[in-house]
Amino acid sequence: MGLIVKTTARAIIPLIGIFGTYIVVHGHLTPGGGFQGGATIAGAGILFLVAFGLDEMKEQYNKSLYSALEGIGGLTFLGVAMLGMGVAFFYNTLWHNGPFFNGQPGTLLSAGYLPIMNLAVGLKVFTGLVSALTTIALYRRWKS
Amino acid sequence: MNGEAILPYLIIIPLFGAFSMPMVNLLGRKSREAWAVIISGATLAVGSAMFYSVWENRGIIVYTLGAKSPLGQANFPIRIVWEVDLFGALMVFMVTLVSFLAVLYSLGYMKHDTGLDKYYTLIIILELGMLGIAITGDLFNFYVFLEIMSIASYALVAFRNDTWEGIEAGIKYMFVGSIASAFILLGIALLYGQYGTLTMSYLALKLAESPSVTAKVALALFIAGLLFKSGASPVHMWLADAHPAAPSSISAMLSGLVIKIGGIYALARILFSIYGASISVKTVGWVIIIFACITLVIGNAMAVIQNDMKRLLAYSSVGQIGYILLGLGIGLAAYGSQTGEIAMAGAIYHTFNHALMKALLFLVAGAVIHQLGTRNLNELSGIAKTMPKTTFAFLIGAAAIIGMPPLNGFASKWLIYESSAIFNPILGAIAIIGTAFCTAAYVRVLYTFFGRPSESVMKAKDPEGTMLWPIILLVVAIIVMGLFPWQISEKIMIPAVKALENQLAYVSTVLGGA
Repeated sequence: MGLIVKTTARAIIPLIGIFGTYIVVHGHLTPGGGFQGGATIAGAGILFLVAFGLDEMKEQYNKSLYSALEGIGGLTFLGVAMLGMGVAFFYNTLWHNGPFFNGQPGTLLSAGYLPIMNLAVGLKVFTGLVSALTTIALYRRWKS
Repeated sequence: MNGEAILPYLIIIPLFGAFSMPMVNLLGRKSREAWAVIISGATLAVGSAMFYSVWENRGIIVYTLGAKSPLGQANFPIRIVWEVDLFGALMVFMVTLVSFLAVLYSLGYMKHDTGLDKYYTLIIILELGMLGIAITGDLFNFYVFLEIMSIASYALVAFRNDTWEGIEAGIKYMFVGSIASAFILLGIALLYGQYGTLTMSYLALKLAESPSVTAKVALALFIAGLLFKSGASPVHMWLADAHPAAPSSISAMLSGLVIKIGGIYALARILFSIYGASISVKTVGWVIIIFACITLVIGNAMAVIQNDMKRLLAYSSVGQIGYILLGLGIGLAAYGSQTGEIAMAGAIYHTFNHALMKALLFLVAGAVIHQLGTRNLNELSGIAKTMPKTTFAFLIGAAAIIGMPPLNGFASKWLIYESSAIFNPILGAIAIIGTAFCTAAYVRVLYTFFGRPSESVMKAKDPEGTMLWPIILLVVAIIVMGLFPWQISEKIMIPAVKALENQLAYVSTVLGGA
């Protein structure tokens, strides 16, 4: 891409990243959540890929790291869901008993395990989408 | 053993295994394979413990996600419930058993392929989806697990993406399967719009209280979608492409499990447990019977003319699905009578038996392909000389699927023949015609196997241990089950039917008598 696109992308990618993170972190307070925020952040990754090209992306992208992060996102979700196994699977023990994330409803540190789950889903969606699109972009060549 | 305490681990263990696979993969090939075997083995342990617990207690296990009770402040369920009766528990056992054997078999069979970390992740996800369908008591949860299972199987069918047929079959399966899933989702949306609940048992109550046209439209969509998923004629065409193109360990799971859990089990659950009291079971039963008869004849007849070994087995699967649907249809049309009970017992018994037999046959086919590199039956003549153990296993599997008396297929087919002959002699005759075709197809294969060895066959030998042991275990299971057919029918299958037909118990266990 040209100079204008690259410069604009440099300016915008951090903004998209911050906005996506905002959506993920405030998943339990405002519209949006893990998937929407994760997809937004992945949008920043795709803008990077489109603006700076595949060669630059190849240097920045690490396949094992992204798959491992995707797995960690899933494991975090599962682990948080198991915190309240004493009562039931998915029992929101952080909300009922603490020690954290049990503040006044409407504040950031409330809603029990939901913020953690949003973060986990956001991480999984971001890494998954970026991996998928990079893989497609890397796909051998146009003819066979 | 307490079934309720271990039920969530049926989901937790495969999820944990699948999510941690990318990290385990970093440790190398051996640890990834060991991890897949450990995870599916642990799931098998939990699945069999769960089955034993449900069978011993003769009760229905209800597990609520998120709290102790499914009911909220009001007296209707607001949470997702998992509900396992004996039928569901039997399916759980079947899924965990065959999946474990397929994973074990993959160690040897898939070792020349690349991208195996994805393969093992997908195979565990596939198992997870099927287990979820078998245990869930929530309609939307059912849809989610159905999609997990379907998407994992689309990816696995097209796993060998350097072959044209893998891609072709995968695309065909994906398009057809997505439309079928969309039907089911539309049905669920209609029911939710009309009745405002997604819990199966509460929905059953609501349906019985106020039947509506919407419910019937939703039922039609469910039946259409699930017949697609189970590969019934005239929508079986994806199956005949998907099963040959997939790796053989996956064909074994697709044919043995996916079409039954996603098709037959879900159909039985929706028809008996949700709609049982609110529809004319006779009409719906006859609809199923008509599709069953078409499936039975077309599937088995098409199997006779195939030259491709796995395609023959795939069409034979269609034919056997016809028997299971016939049992299910008669079980509905003769609901509450002795005949209906026997037919349904035959259907459940045949579901389980066919999972074992067809898994065995596909694993054998995989071993043959692995050795000789061809699926063409004309080039396989005389492998009995060079691959005696494999051929013996195929002989047992073929005899069992035809329904030879000392093997397990006999009893289950007998129950279906008997009940269909009592219910309507014409149906009995159609069932016999199907078996005649089926026999012709398998005799033809065996005739080839025992023929004069061709040159390409001379270099072949029996497969290695990890591929041979699952085959041996399945042969032993088929023979042992064949020795006690009526005991198994009395002790497991008839109670499973009673549990399925007892809609009141299914509803009241969740609602707690409310």
